[in-house]
Order: sequence, then C-alpha cells, then structure tokens
Amino acid sequence: MLALRASAQYDGREIDLSVVTAADDGIGDGGGGGGIANGEELIRFANAVLGHDEAELAAARTAIAGTLGGAALADTVGVVSLFNAIVRVADSTGIPVEEQRAADSADFRAAIGVDDFAAAGEKGSG
Amino acid sequence: MTKIMYEDLAWPVRDEVIAAQQYAWDRLGRPGTWLSGVERIAVAAEARNAAGCQLCRDSKEALSPYAVEGSHDHLGALAELEVEQIHRIVNDPGRLSRAWYKGLGDAGMVEERYVESVGVIVTVVALDTFTRGLGMAPWPLPQVEAGAPSELRPAAARRQMAWVSTLSPGEVLGTAESDIYDGAATAAHIKQALSLVPEEQRSFFGLVDHQYMLGVQMFDFEKEIRAITHAQIELVAGRVSALNQCVY
Repeated sequence: MLALRASAQYDGREIDLSVVTAADDGIGDGGGGGGIANGEELIRFANAVLGHDEAELAAARTAIAGTLGGAALADTVGVVSLFNAIVRVADSTGIPVEEQRAADSADFRAAIGVDDFAAAGEKGSG
Repeated sequence: MTKIMYEDLAWPVRDEVIAAQQYAWDRLGRPGTWLSGVERIAVAAEARNAAGCQLCRDSKEALSPYAVEGSHDHLGALAELEVEQIHRIVNDPGRLSRAWYKGLGDAGMVEERYVESVGVIVTVVALDTFTRGLGMAPWPLPQVEAGAPSELRPAAARRQMAWVSTLSPGEVLGTAESDIYDGAATAAHIKQALSLVPEEQRSFFGLVDHQYMLGVQMFDFEKEIRAITHAQIELVAGRVSALNQCVY
C-alpha cells in the first residue's frame, strides 16, 4: 500500500486507503473506490474473484471489461491472481516486513486495521 | 503437455504472461530440487482439493485455527504432515504462525521440501485464480515426467530473517544463484522467501514480473506499463492482500 499512496501523491490526488481493508459486506459493495479511477469496480472484482458467488463474478467481470476494456480486465486478473498467490509465499515462509517499510507505513497500517490482522504481531507490523 | 492459451477469449492476455504461466505450469510435473514429478503433481492436486475440506472450513470460522479437531479431507497421496501444510497455506494463510511452522518441523517436515511445496502450491493458486477470474475452467495438471530431484541446497542458505532458510542477496553475488536477485546486493524480503530452492524463486518471480511488474517499475509513475494504472494495480493488490489478512 506504500506504492498505492506514493502513486496518488505523485499525481497530487487524495486517496482513502481504508477502502482496501473495508468490510466486504455485500455483493457489489466495494465501499467506494478510495479516490482511484474505477476503484469501486476494481475492488468489486477482486472481492468477486476471491468469493464464491459466480453470478456476481460474471457481473463484476463484465463491469471491468465494459468500463476499462478487455486488456484492462486481463491485467486486473493478472494482479488479483498473482497477489492471491504471493500473500501465501509471504505468510508461509514467515518473512517479516522490512524495517523501513514498516516505519514508512506505520501510520496507515494502524489507521486502516492492518495491524489488527492475526499475523501482525510476529511479522513486524504490529 | 498442457497448452496454456487464452486465444478464444474476448480479452487479450499478454504473450509474456502466457509464457511465464506455461513455464511455471510445465515445471509442476517435472522433477524438482527436492520433490519428484510424482510428488509435485500430488502437491498440486492436493492444493486444488483443499478448497473442499470441511475441517479447513470449520477451522477458518473458529477464533483459533487450533480450536477445531479432526482430519483434513485429502486425496490420500501425501503424508498427513504435507496435507496439513498444503491445506493451511491454501485455506488460512493469514493465521499461519512460527509455532505452526516449528510444529511441522518437529514432526519431521524437511525444510527444503516445505519450501519447494510452497512454490508448487502458489503456482496452482496463481493460475487457478487467473482462470477463475477470466471465467474459464482450471487448466489440467501436466503429466508427470520421470527423473530424480537434484537435491542441491545452495551453500549460502541459512536461517536468518524468515522461518525458513534463505539466501542473502549480498552472499550470492558471483555465485550461480546471483540471478535470482538480478545481481543486486539487496532485495525485498518477498524476493528472498523462496530462495532456499532457487528454481521455485525463478519460476514464481517470472509470474510476478509479468502479471504484476518488475521491482524497478513499482515507483516509476511516469511510465504506465499495463492497461491499468499504477494506482489501480496497487489498489487491487492491496485489496487482495487484505482479503487474505496478509500484513506483508
């Protein structure tokens, strides 16, 4: 999320990082896009790929393809699937968050609830 | 051989993504460093099977993953220890702990086999998530190829910052493994995570480089390299990490 914040700062945009950890409490409810273009559709799609509702996934896919285009859909799927895997690399090998990264992200980690995740204590985030 | 192809879709998948996926998928059936092709395919099949495990479902809903007793629903091709590794990584990665990992080791898990299995598991997770996202059936697992694992442990591997042994970038400069960090003297911890089994690191980071981006591109905001922007990529990445309760 450091890169997300940095990308927004580069563009001079205000973003709301809390959408990343917002509760997924219903179909299509991405909690807003946090100030990122098409953010709501992207979060909805990520939720749907990791969820179990096939109709919602189909609808979320159509929404991305319709608003951002087919190449964007393919690239979004690439990011979703890669991160669904890479979190398992991080969590199963026990790598800690780098000290500098932990320091740089300490403010928003606490604010948006990352420090409340189960692994935060022993992996250097809490 | 399973041919990875997305030509029938209305959405264009980049050629370099297909190539990286093909390389990673083909490797599943080949002899690895510590696992045979038969064992690698067994791990891959169990990773797919884990999604239907009742014990994992009950454990995930419990306050503690250790609060529910029982046995995993498994395919019967692997030892219980290996099944436990695979199912927990697939179904509840955010609550894996050092104590859990130590418990596996105390029960006989071999560190090198554990790391190689992680590489197999995440390859299956990555490609199965990709096909699901595009509305396709999962790719068939590849055929097993005969041969023995090489059992080559990098000389510089040692226990340092992670639960598993890793290769420090500074210590592999000038060795056969220096390519895994692109010859750099430093690397993000995530890039070091699978380094005990360099072939797994190389294969997985082929997916990283093409489905996400190279490390040097992460903060180069002047140049957009995908059909979605840096900010959109990071929003999706952050959301998926949060849904998995990952702090890294």
